[in-house]
Parts: sequence; C-alpha cells; structure tokens
Amino acid sequence: MMLTIPHTEDGALARLVAVFGSLGPHREKRIHYIFDLGVPDYREIVLPAGGPIDSIALQAPAAAWYERELHDQYGIEIVGHPDLRPLMFHDNWPDGVYPMVDRAKDVPWAKREYCFLQVQGEGIAEVAVGPVHAGIIEPGHFRFSVVGDTILHLELRHFYTHKGTEKLFEGSSVTSGVMVAESVSGDNCFAHAVCYSQAVEHACGTDVSPRASAIRLIGLELERLICHVSDVGGLCTDVGFGVGAAYAMRIKESLLRASVDCCGTRYWRGVAVPGGLRIDFDSGKVLKLGQAVARAYGEFSGITSMILDTPSIQDRFETAGVLSREVARDLAVVGPVARASGMKLDVRLDHPYGHYKNCQFEVPVGDYGDVMARAQIRIAEAAVSARLIQETVNALPNGDPLVPVIARGEVRGFSAVESPRGELCYRLNGLDDRLTRCYVKSPSFQNWPAMPFAVEGNIIADFPLINKSFNLSYSGCDR
Amino acid sequence: MIGDVIGQSLRQPNRLVPAEDLLGNCDGSRMPEIVADRLTPAIAQRLTEVCPTGALGMEESGGHGCLRLSYGDCIACGRCIDFGAGAVVSAKRFTWCGVTKSQLVRLWDIGRCVEITPPAPSSDEVRGQIYSFFQRALNIRQLDAGSCNGCETEITALTNPYYDWERFGIHLVASPKHADMLLVTGPVTRNMAGAVKATYDAVPAPKLVVAVGACGCSGGIFAGSHAIVGAVDAVIPVDGYIPGCPPTPAMLVTGILEVLRRRPT
Repeated sequence: MMLTIPHTEDGALARLVAVFGSLGPHREKRIHYIFDLGVPDYREIVLPAGGPIDSIALQAPAAAWYERELHDQYGIEIVGHPDLRPLMFHDNWPDGVYPMVDRAKDVPWAKREYCFLQVQGEGIAEVAVGPVHAGIIEPGHFRFSVVGDTILHLELRHFYTHKGTEKLFEGSSVTSGVMVAESVSGDNCFAHAVCYSQAVEHACGTDVSPRASAIRLIGLELERLICHVSDVGGLCTDVGFGVGAAYAMRIKESLLRASVDCCGTRYWRGVAVPGGLRIDFDSGKVLKLGQAVARAYGEFSGITSMILDTPSIQDRFETAGVLSREVARDLAVVGPVARASGMKLDVRLDHPYGHYKNCQFEVPVGDYGDVMARAQIRIAEAAVSARLIQETVNALPNGDPLVPVIARGEVRGFSAVESPRGELCYRLNGLDDRLTRCYVKSPSFQNWPAMPFAVEGNIIADFPLINKSFNLSYSGCDR
Repeated sequence: MIGDVIGQSLRQPNRLVPAEDLLGNCDGSRMPEIVADRLTPAIAQRLTEVCPTGALGMEESGGHGCLRLSYGDCIACGRCIDFGAGAVVSAKRFTWCGVTKSQLVRLWDIGRCVEITPPAPSSDEVRGQIYSFFQRALNIRQLDAGSCNGCETEITALTNPYYDWERFGIHLVASPKHADMLLVTGPVTRNMAGAVKATYDAVPAPKLVVAVGACGCSGGIFAGSHAIVGAVDAVIPVDGYIPGCPPTPAMLVTGILEVLRRRPT
C-alpha cells in the first residue's frame, strides 16, 4: 500500500510534518501521516499497516528517518526504503522486539552489528567523535569521512538518549502526562508542556481562559528569548570570543532569575497544565518580569552589534555550514534553521494558537543559510520575542488560571507550537482519563538529518560551530 | 573595536554571588519541605496518591506509621504542595545535596508529627570547610547518560558570571582521563550504558562520582522504561547524590562541596 502525497493549493507537494505509528482498537498497526497544507490546516492521513507499506522517502526525503523509526518501534515492513538500518535501537537491542507493540519488559541484551557508510578513495580518513564529547554536551556519535581537514561526508548516529518516552505516556492520566512532556527536552520544557496541554485541551474541547493563554505566550516567548541569547553566547564560545559569551550567559541568567521571582521556577517547569496554568500569576510580578525582559533585551541588542561587527567573528560565521534552500525544503527543516535558509515557516503565523491569534508580528527570514544567517535570525527573533512579551505584559487579560479538563470516552487531540527550535507537535489518543498513545514530533528529529549536508565541504574544526548554529536537542530527537 | 569591548567589560558591575549565599540556597528548585505539625494520616495518604514518582510514601518504622520523602525520586512537580493542605511547602533552604543515598530519605512519624530522620548536613559546617578547598583544584568531567538536558543547562550556568565555579578551584575538563570527578546526569539509557562504564574506567583512581538530578539519583520520571537501565548507581559506583529536577546551580555547588567534604582523605 502506498500513500499519495497531497498537494497544496499552489500545486507543490505538501510539507511533511510527521509520520508515526499507532495501534487500533484491535491492536492492528496503523501509520499516520501529517502534512502541512498551509491553508486551512494540517491534514492527517491514516493507513492500515498490517502488511508491507511502500516507502515515500524517495519522493519526500524528510520521511526517511520517520520510516526507520516505524520499522524499529512497530516492526512495520517498509518496502523500497533506501536505508533501513536500525535507528533508535543500538547493538544491544535484540531483533524482532518492537516496544510499541510488545510488552517490552526485561528485554534481553543482544549483540548486533551496525555498518557505517564507508567512503572509499585515496587519502580518505575516518574520524569518529562521541557519544561522549568534550564539554557539557548531550551524547551522540558523529562519523566523519575526511580528506585532510575537509569533510566529505558525515554520518550521524544518535538515539543514545532514547528513553522510551512515548511508551511512558501510555496509561498515564491526561493531566499527569504533562510531566513526561516536560522531560522530553529540558531546555524547551515550557513549549513541550504547552503543546501537550493544548493537545489535551483539543481532545477534551476545553477553552482555557484568555489570561492563561496570555501568560503561556509570555512563557513561550521568554523561553525563545533565553534560548536565542544562549545560542548567540554559545556561538561566541565556539569561536573563542569569550567576552560575547560571558555577556550572553549573564543576560540569560538574569532572565532565569527574573523567572524565579515571577513564578518560582527557572525554566517554567510545572507551570502549564491541561486546562491552563497550575499557579496563579500575580499581575505585579508579571509586570516586574516584563521590566526585567526589557532590561535584558536592551543589553542583548547592545552586545549583538558588538559581536556581529567584530571582523574575526564575521570571518568565522560567514559562508560556514551553508544549508541550501533545496535541501532544507526536501528535508522539511523547521524553525530558525529553515528560516535562515529562506523558508518562511512559523507555526505562530501559519497556524496561530492561543494568544498568538491576537498578536501582530512578522518573523525574520534569511537567505544564505550559513552560520551568520542563523545567528542573525536568532538575534532578530529575540527582538520579536521581547516585543511580544512587552505587549502581552502591558495588556494582561483577566480570567481563571485553570479550568477543569474532562475527558470522556475516546478522545483524540493534536497541537502544534513554535518552540525555540521550530515546529513541535503533540498528537494523542485517550480513553476516558487515560492516554493510549501520545506521539511527539520534535523539531530536532526533523532537523538533524539536514546537518550532514550543511557540514559537507567545511573543515572539521568548524563542525562544533555549525552544530551550535543549528542548536538541536539530542534528547528531544531521541525521546 | 577591541577598545570598546574592553571598556564595556570594565564598566560592568560585579554580579558574582558570594559563596555563602549559594550554600543551602534552592530558589527556583521547587523542592518540597514537610511541615511536620500539620501532618495527618489522611493528608499523608493523599500525598502518597498524588506523587507521580513514588517519592512520597507510607511505611512502618519502629511500630509507627511514617511518611517517607525520598528526594532522589522527587521531580519537584509541586503536586504535593497543591494537595497537601499546608503540610507541604516549597523548601526555603535545601541541604540534601551531595549526600549518600540513605541520607536522601526522610521520615516523619505521622501520629506524633515529628521528623525521625537524622538532621541534614548543615551548610554552616560546609561553609567552615570551603575556604580550605579554595586553593585546591578539582577537575570535573560532565557525563550525560541520557538526560533531558535540563541538568546540562544548569551545569552550564555554573560557568556564568553569577556562579563562576572556577573560584572554587573547579575546572571542567574535556577528557575523563584528566578528571577527578564525574558529574553524571540522566537515567542511564540502554544505549549509553557501555559508554558510561567506559568513561568511568577511563577516569584515573582515586575518583569521585556524583549523580545529578532526579533521573541520575533514581531514574526519575523515566524509571521503569524499557529503554533505560536505571539510575547512575545501577551502572557505576556513586559517591554523592544531588537531587532536583533540575537542581539549581546553587544546589550543584552545595552538593559538589559536600561530596568533597565527605571524601575519605
């Protein structure tokens, strides 16, 4: 059986958002494809997957990793896929055990062999990096094939932090699932909590109060601001520009401390829950947070011009790690990385949710797709975030922080949020109060396969810089 | 250009948080504290039911019904505070950092409304000791065994101008072969178990291992998943535990110094 990829109104192939599996009422396997048709919305197509399924990876390369994941997790036979090596499970996982189908307890340890792609030719050397890296970085393996310093090919081997998260959702109550969602990717925990909560609210037909929506927007934009400030600092670190890095880290810390004063948590963990917010925000404290953001953004815009005007920074950032628009489109890349490569794509504008429906803003789009473009996009987005926070803080609506969420019978919900790394989706099914399936589409899972294309032809010493400019989460990808 | 940069740097106020203000500080960590005299059997029962990770539970000790709070399992979700009817509050100070596994567990006699665990390590005691560590060098290698990256973000914050952990003589090193201490975050996943063992073996003896975060201490929210092996101590020996989800930079500093204080000399 093969899926026909839908087209958008202007005749182009629709952008692939996610492919995932589920079990039907009689435990029969199914495949769900989600596409973005732009207007009016996302479209989900479900195919039965009892038998073999034809791969769509050759038409939509973005599907390649998703199909490998289906093969690993559900044991669905994918026909015509160019590369069906195990993705999520490493050498220790036995063949024929599919955790999303079977009762995966006490899985025996196995010894399988994984073959890396071999680049052959005179003078080609392999450099293996990871999973344990130098510095405070998540684990992942990079296999470079190089000639001298120049990278010919990079193969990623990830999923070292695979924790079986989607399986953990199963059986948990719709209200407590948010705690698992917050632990998918810790630095973007608020985007995950809001996205999960919105999916539950969609499933249960709950309308959160305008006040809760507005405060969620403040939290989401603050998370984006913190993430972008931190990334600009990280880019400075990777080119040895210590002053810029120290400034950025200081500004980030001032925002985290302002969060503690406002809501008692540095990363807004435990704030968003299905139905609204777990805590009632004091309007005075929210105003103070707004002032702290204004101050921090003022400092940040001061240092960004200093950073971007420094000749040694320009020398390292420009033309490094170019991700072409064609590759970005084929791999359906999302978030700031996509926008830096000229794709105008932002869930906040394309499919507005929550308080964003009341906001007017533009998202910056770049062109060259190099490290400099990604840095500039992040800096420009930080400005938009700071402005959105100010506007929302100054006109905070009233309403109950939390409204009850009642799940009865069979429910299904979907939600998409623009997290700091790009489009994040939750798609869940529940029976009464219990989740039966919860799928997480993480922007990092979508963007990682694009990284090898961006590093090709660069020198290996520039890899950390290019990697940082993508700023992808390993845990979010591996789940 | 470079003159502007240096000039700007010199005009910056000093933001370094004094060491004394870090020890025992847990602002923003959401860690719970029990108000013993408000405990009732009904509340204790309710707390046990709402806790998602089993950090709160009931057990018998010396013939008395007790409430057990195991900080190593706590993901600081705050539900016990919501449902505790005043018997649970946000901790104002927190010193169960860098302690042994058994010290992570506290017990309250519900009938008599008193705590029956030995007191936590006093941060005052640590304060007296830390100046003696100032001249020492501690080389730390951070190891992510499968964390959600929440703990990594907080460990990274230790290098910022507020915390600046190099003032304690602490350096982050790139190789386990240069390290005195491994700071391990996350539940150990199946896919990382081999690398965690290999990294531990590469650290020259004598070595210290600190498990960081609810996941590192107990597996946290991921405990029981098919894709994880368990807490850090399921794979390598651990000298001290720093709970929290994630532990704040102040809790990390408190914990690392406490492990140093307790190390056998």
